[in-house]
This record gives sequence, C-alpha cells and structure tokens, in this order.
Amino acid sequence: MAEMWINMGPQHPMTHGLWNMRIKVDGETITDAEPVIGYLHRGWEKMVENRLYPQIIPMADRLCYGSAFTWSHVYCMAVEKLMDIEVPERAQYIRAMSDELQRIGNHLMWLAAIGTDLGNLTMFLYATRDREMFLDLFTSLTGARMTYNYCRVGGVRNDSPPNWTRDLVRTLDYFEKRLKEYDMLVDQSKLFRMRMEGLGYMSAKDCINAGITGPVLRASGVKQDLRHNDPYEIYEELDWNICTHDDCDTWARYRVRMMEMQESVNIVRDILKKMPESGPIRVKPPRAAPVGTAMARMEDPRGESLMYLVGDGTDKPYRLSVRSPLYVIISASPQLLKGYRIADVPSILGMLDVCVGEMDR
Amino acid sequence: MTDKQISRKEKQLGLTGFIFKPMYITMKQFIKAVVNRPQTILYPWEKMATPDAFRGRPGLIFDKCIGCGICMRICPTRCIDLVEVDDLKKAEGEEPKKVKRPRVNLGRCLMCGYCAEYCPTDAMIVTPDYELATFSREEAIYDPYMLQHDWKPGYEVHIKEVLPSEVNKVFEPRLRIEHKDIPVLDDEKCISCTRCAKDCPVDAVTMVEVGVNERGRPIRKPVFDAEKCISCDTCVEVCPKDALTMKEAL
Amino acid sequence: MYLDLWNLVGGLIHWLMVDVIGEILNWLHLYGLADWLGSSGVLHILTIIVVGLIILVVGMLVSITLIWQDRKMLGRFMDRVGTQVGPFGLFQNFADALKVLVKEYIIPDAADRLIYPLAPILIIGLSMAMFVTIPYSQGFYMSNSDLSVILTLAILAVVPFAVLMGGWASNNKYTLIGGMRAAAQTCAYEVPLLLSVASVVVLTGSMNFMDIVAFQYENTWLVIPLIIGFIVFLVSIIAEVERVPFDLPEAEAELVEGWQTEYGGMRFGLIMMSQYARSFVGASLIVLLFFGGWHGPFADYIPAGIWFVVKVFLVFILFVWAWAAFPRIRTDQILDLCWKRLLPLAAINLFIAVFFKTMGWF
Repeated sequence: MAEMWINMGPQHPMTHGLWNMRIKVDGETITDAEPVIGYLHRGWEKMVENRLYPQIIPMADRLCYGSAFTWSHVYCMAVEKLMDIEVPERAQYIRAMSDELQRIGNHLMWLAAIGTDLGNLTMFLYATRDREMFLDLFTSLTGARMTYNYCRVGGVRNDSPPNWTRDLVRTLDYFEKRLKEYDMLVDQSKLFRMRMEGLGYMSAKDCINAGITGPVLRASGVKQDLRHNDPYEIYEELDWNICTHDDCDTWARYRVRMMEMQESVNIVRDILKKMPESGPIRVKPPRAAPVGTAMARMEDPRGESLMYLVGDGTDKPYRLSVRSPLYVIISASPQLLKGYRIADVPSILGMLDVCVGEMDR
Repeated sequence: MTDKQISRKEKQLGLTGFIFKPMYITMKQFIKAVVNRPQTILYPWEKMATPDAFRGRPGLIFDKCIGCGICMRICPTRCIDLVEVDDLKKAEGEEPKKVKRPRVNLGRCLMCGYCAEYCPTDAMIVTPDYELATFSREEAIYDPYMLQHDWKPGYEVHIKEVLPSEVNKVFEPRLRIEHKDIPVLDDEKCISCTRCAKDCPVDAVTMVEVGVNERGRPIRKPVFDAEKCISCDTCVEVCPKDALTMKEAL
Repeated sequence: MYLDLWNLVGGLIHWLMVDVIGEILNWLHLYGLADWLGSSGVLHILTIIVVGLIILVVGMLVSITLIWQDRKMLGRFMDRVGTQVGPFGLFQNFADALKVLVKEYIIPDAADRLIYPLAPILIIGLSMAMFVTIPYSQGFYMSNSDLSVILTLAILAVVPFAVLMGGWASNNKYTLIGGMRAAAQTCAYEVPLLLSVASVVVLTGSMNFMDIVAFQYENTWLVIPLIIGFIVFLVSIIAEVERVPFDLPEAEAELVEGWQTEYGGMRFGLIMMSQYARSFVGASLIVLLFFGGWHGPFADYIPAGIWFVVKVFLVFILFVWAWAAFPRIRTDQILDLCWKRLLPLAAINLFIAVFFKTMGWF
C-alpha cells in the first residue's frame, strides 16, 4: 500500500467529541499526523463579552463536560482577583474539595473512555458506574449532575447538605476498593500493559518545549503541579504529594492519573479533617469590576488552565481569554504519534483525555 | 506519591497477572450481578431519587411574584421574558387585573437556578421536574400559568452571604435582601419624568415636590423607600437621563 | 438416547410420498408419477433437502441463542442488565432482525457493484456450510464424512477470503485495512489451529467427528492429555471468529467498524449472524474435539443432542468471559502471539500426542 491520509474524525469512534485527526500512514505505520479542530467552535470568548459577570459562571461550566467545576472555579478566581475580593475560609475548603471530587470524576470519565478505546467495554461500564457515585454526590451538593453552576464570585452557591460528610466518607471508602479492582483489571493485565507500554514517548524536555502541562508532563518525571508550585485556595495547608512517573509513555500517563485519583481521595479526607465547621461561604460581589487585568490559573484535571480577564469598569468583561491545557497538548500530538501504528492511535490520544469543548471553545 | 513511586521495573507482573486477575475480577462481578441485581436503573420504570438540592426546571409561585424582572435580567441565556397576563386573584365581578409575569423558554433554559437565586420574593422556585421533552419548540415555551408549580419547603433558594468588607470577621451570613443596593439620584440630571415611580414594582419610589422651576411648575424628585426597595434595577433601566445609579452595599 | 434424524426424516418422507401422495396419485390413475415419486432416488434427494433444512434451522436457532447468551452474560459481567425485549430479553434478536430487514440497502458510489453485495452472501453461506459437518449426536447430523474435521477447517479457512473481498470491494480506507488485517490474522492462526487439531487426530487416529467422540467416550476427554492443545485451540478459534481480544479486523476505536464499515441494513445483519454462526461452529469444534462431544451423565433421560448444545453454551461462556476481561491487542502483537507463543506450544502439544500414542497409553 502506498502512503495515504486517513481521517480519524470528525465522525469516528476514536474521537471523543468533534474533531479530526488526520493521519498519514504507510501500511500500518504513522508517518505524519495533523490535528484539525474547529468543528465545535462556539465563539465562547466573544460570547461572554456581553454577559454579566455572574452570568458567565454557567457558561464556564460548559467549557468541558468532564470537569465543569474547575472551569467555573478558575473563572471565579480571575474575577475575584480583578475585584479584589477575599473568599471566606470555609468556601475555599469547599471549593478545593469540589475540585478534587471533580478530578476523580473526570479521571473516571477518562478511564471509561480509554476502556472503549482499547476495546474493553467492561472498563467503560465499571468506571462510569463509579463516576455515578460522584455525580450523585455532586447532585446532592450542587443540584446538578454535570454542569454545576456552583462556584460563585466570592464563594460557593450553598453550603454542604446535611449528612454530607457521612455520604462523602462512605463514597470514598467504596471508591478506594474499586480503585484496587481497576488495578487488577488494567494494571495486572498483560494485555492492557501490551497496549500501553512504550507508546507515545515524549521526554521531559520535549514536553516543556511544547508547553504541555498536567498529568502528561508529570508522567515525564517533571514535578510540576500548580497546587504545589503556585498554590491557590487552601492547598498550602494540606498534606499531599505530587504524583510523577519517569517512563514518559502512555503507561506512565495512565499510572499518573490513577495515582492522582488515590491522591485526590487523600486530599478530600484531609480537607474533611481541616474544614471549619461553619461560617460564611459566600461574599456579595460588586456588580462592576474595576478597570484592570487579572489572571488566574489552576490545576485542571487535564493540565494548567488559565483565564485572563480584562475589566473596563462596567458589569461585563472587556475580554476574557482562556488558555486550555488540551489545546496545547493536542498541538503536540503529531510528535507523540509519529512512528507508531494505527492501532496505537486510540491508546496514545486516549491517554491525553481529549475534551473538545475546552479545546475549541 | 513520588516516594513510593511504582516504576515498570519494580512492578513486574506476577505469574497470576498475565490474564487471570482481570478474569477473576470480571467473574466476581458476574456472580455479584447474578446473585444480586445489576446496577442498572431501568429508567422509564425506575427513577433515581432526586436530592433536595436538585435543580430541575424553574417554577413560579404566581401570587408571590411582583413582576420586577430580576430573573429576566440575570438569565444567562435570556430565556425569560415578562409578559402581561391576567392576574389570578380577582375581586367579585371585576375584570382581572393585568400583571407582568415571567415566561420561560425551556428550550433554552440552562437550569442554572439563577432566577430562583436572585428572586427577591422567592416567587421563582427550583422544581425537581426534569422530564421536559416536547414535540415542538413552541411547546417548550412555558407561559406563567404553565410555569406554576406546587410549593414545597426547600424549593425556593435562599442565599446567605456576607459583604466583602466583613469577610473573615465573625459575622452571621445574611440574606441578600437584608443588605440591598439602593438607587441614588443624580439631582443634576433628573427631569422629573416620574417614570421610576410608575415602573417600580413595589411602589418604593414616591415623587416629592422640592420646589418650583422658573415657569412655576413643581419640581418633583424621586425618594426611595429603603424598606420596600428590592434593588431590582427597574428604575435605573427606565430612567431616560441615566440619573439613577445603584449604590451597592459593599 | 438420541434421535436418528436420517431414519426419522427418511421414514416420514417415505410415508408422505408413498403412502399419502402415492395413494392419491394411484387413485387418480397417475401410476407413472406415483412410481417416480416413490423411487429411491427422489426419496433420497427429498430426505437430504429436509434434513439440510432441519440442520440449518437448528444451527441458526442455536446461533441466535448464542447472541442472546452473549448479550445477557456480557451485561452481567459489566454490571448491567443486557437485552430487555421479551421475557429475559429473548426476543431482542428478532427485533434486531426486523430492524435491519426494513432498512435501506445502500451501495456506496465507489464500491465494486459485483463483489460488494456478493461478499456478505459468501460469508453467511460459508458460515452455514460449516453446520453441515457438525454432528449434534450419533444420529443428528447432516454428513458423516471420514474427513469432516478437515472439511470444517477448510471451510473456516475460506472465510477470510470473503472478508478481504468485502473490505476491498467497499473501496474505503478503513475497510481495506480491516480486510488486510483479517486476512493476515486468520491466515496466521490457521497454523496453530491445524497443529492442535493434528494432535487430536494423532491420538484418535481418525478425522471423523463420530470416531473422535467415540474415542473420548471409551478413554477420556481429550482436554486432559492435551490441555496445551486445548488452550492453543481456544485462542486460535477466538482469533478465527474475530472476537475480542482478537477483533482487530473490526477494531472499533481506530477503524470505525473495520471491514464492515460500509455495510448496512440486512447485509450487516448477515455479517453479524455469520459471526455468531462461526462462533457456534468454533465452540462446537472445541466440544467435539476436547470435551467428549455429546456424551454426558444421565444419558438415559437427557438426549445426546441436548448435552451437546449445553456444552456448546458452556464453552461459549469462555468466549464471553474473554470479551469481558480483555482489551483488543495490536496487529503485530497478535502475530507475535501466534508465531512466537502459540506455534511452539502447538508443536510441543503435538509431540506430547505422539509420545502418548507411541507409548501406547491411548
């Protein structure tokens, strides 16, 4: 067979969302690749320019179906910096706790997705089943399953419901058992390891040069985690470790995400210990932001998300720019794919945890 | 977790790890699902219990609503508008009054709950209804009568908050209505048109004569009743000369 | 206790042709026609047709039940319910069949007009042709050739040719790669498959399923001496029928649906049906070669054919289990597994069989 271009997308089971991975193959070997995005472009950044500041929060939720809370959180942090609002301590704890629960939920969604990518539907159903537990938790906390609209400028929407700690601890106990099951199903399975080991090699130097952040960077052995390097909210006060791995391949990315889930469970337990019992959780924000700029960044489940906000003295932002971690990672995907086989494409791209909503905006 | 990092060399697969552990796990789950029942919830027949905080479609308590339009202004997708409808309460033998009530296009609704959150009189509520499929887009537009919903405690959203100047000092959080924004008048710009007084939904604005102009006509300035005001922005919006601004409680 | 299909059908045909229709024709004074219908040649051909139809219907019914078993068990493996239509979801397959029947037949513009519609017919035909050689019990069979093992494997080996035809004729990059993969994979797995069958043939000294089953009845189930051969055969047959973890030709994640991407409607239904027909043949091969065929306890009360089908279902559990537990593996790894692992194992197994035979233990 001569070399040919194969379109993996926009309608293809490999793409989680609407984008196109063009791949040039020589037989089964990939010689070139080209990501094409823009099928899901909603003009998000322009759209929010004629919304009031609180109206943007549900919009920010809809940047990514998997990690809605972190996006509204980073937006709220940017507005708080611009308006110079201090957030009550209990609200900060609740935000950090929701962040970690969201991280678990998002990583479970990713685990489910790679299950189907690698051809094992069981993994998909186990992971979605357990994600349902966290969605139930979020429903009782925020009132919605996926797009929470929970974070507010200056706090969070409401306090945790009664029996929240009991439910949360039960869910975490259950989930830790399930994590061991995943370990046996995926880690301890030779066939899964065969599909993951040694693929998509990207050294730490290449990762940093490409601007890659998040679990992909940590899987290359770089200790970069904004919760540690540029701590926001109350992460300074918590005991936790950065999960890194030295293998630089998809298996390392898998391991880092699995370790992060365990670490998130530990962080939530720690938060439950240190959280103040009661107190105000919400500050009334001013309607208009002053003239000026503000930047907030945080550790999204996929990497480093950043929002840059320009206020012009009115109650609507002049400009809100989003730095999506995945946009950067996907632009480096040709480097990840070259030299491997067609059959490796789902496992390499699946480990990046693609979410087109935040990539295209 | 760097200290106990699991590298590939350290965590080689054991003899059982080749294929038997995943087979063991799946068989365990199989037996569990056969003996008990599977996790699936057969949706149209069985439904999950909705927690108290669940946000379904917005609902309206018709009699509590004052038609202030806060929900219309805060809605992120602008799916709410105010329409004039007949009031439900009417005296004997009288024509029903025309009142302004919100109409929601549920085809565009985000279920964000902002309308209930910002409602000053708790007339907009968050209901647990989520089965909203319709056969046409017109049917998804709920007029104020359709929007009504039985009230239960917990459907309305009370937001308790503190002012930015009070953060981290010991303060009980209060309802928003207790530290509301009050409109203030720029005397220079006011032309005594009385539109703010006419449009105020709670009659918090009274026009007070403050003098006579050179032609002998009375100059009337609005005076705001801080007790009645719900800081709904209506007067600020209707003011033809931009003489009113909101003084925010901060 | 078993049903003698040929005698039963032959008797029925004889009674129908000679005693019923023949009498009527005689009464109408059409003696020549009555004689011709009663002649042994016509009776024999009619018997063959009716027996073939019965075997086909039984095979299809078992295959359909395998689809049901597959869906229901996969559901339980994955903590979900599975099919829902009808009692225990038994009617789901019929609902699906109705759905694919009423769908439109689409032939892609760029496809080969002749071969594109031919490939599914060839695939389903070849899959059903294998029903012919599979005996359900001592009496319930279509053919009892001395070379029925070889015949089954030969038909099994032609299927990738039809798959490649379909993939090529669709004129699509996914289908082409899928067809190539199917051809490479199934050709490679023929070798360990045949070698492990060869060990059975060495031990039993026959290529007839009847003799092999009779040998197992007299001695022991061949899975005990030839456990390695059984494993090799199981892996190879899963690869032959293209199920997870070896379903590369239809690898959903990278190649949409592999070689069947362009097939829709009843053509897709036929392809799906043929896969389960092949799974049935594969499972029954395992039962016949390694698990003692239709022999089981309580032979006086439970007919042999029932035992056979029950064993097929039990063996199919292994197929479903593998689907639930494993991901799909890569092309090069599949071939690695075949040439570097299974082939030496099959050779060792053959040596063991020869060793047993020369020692005269069997």
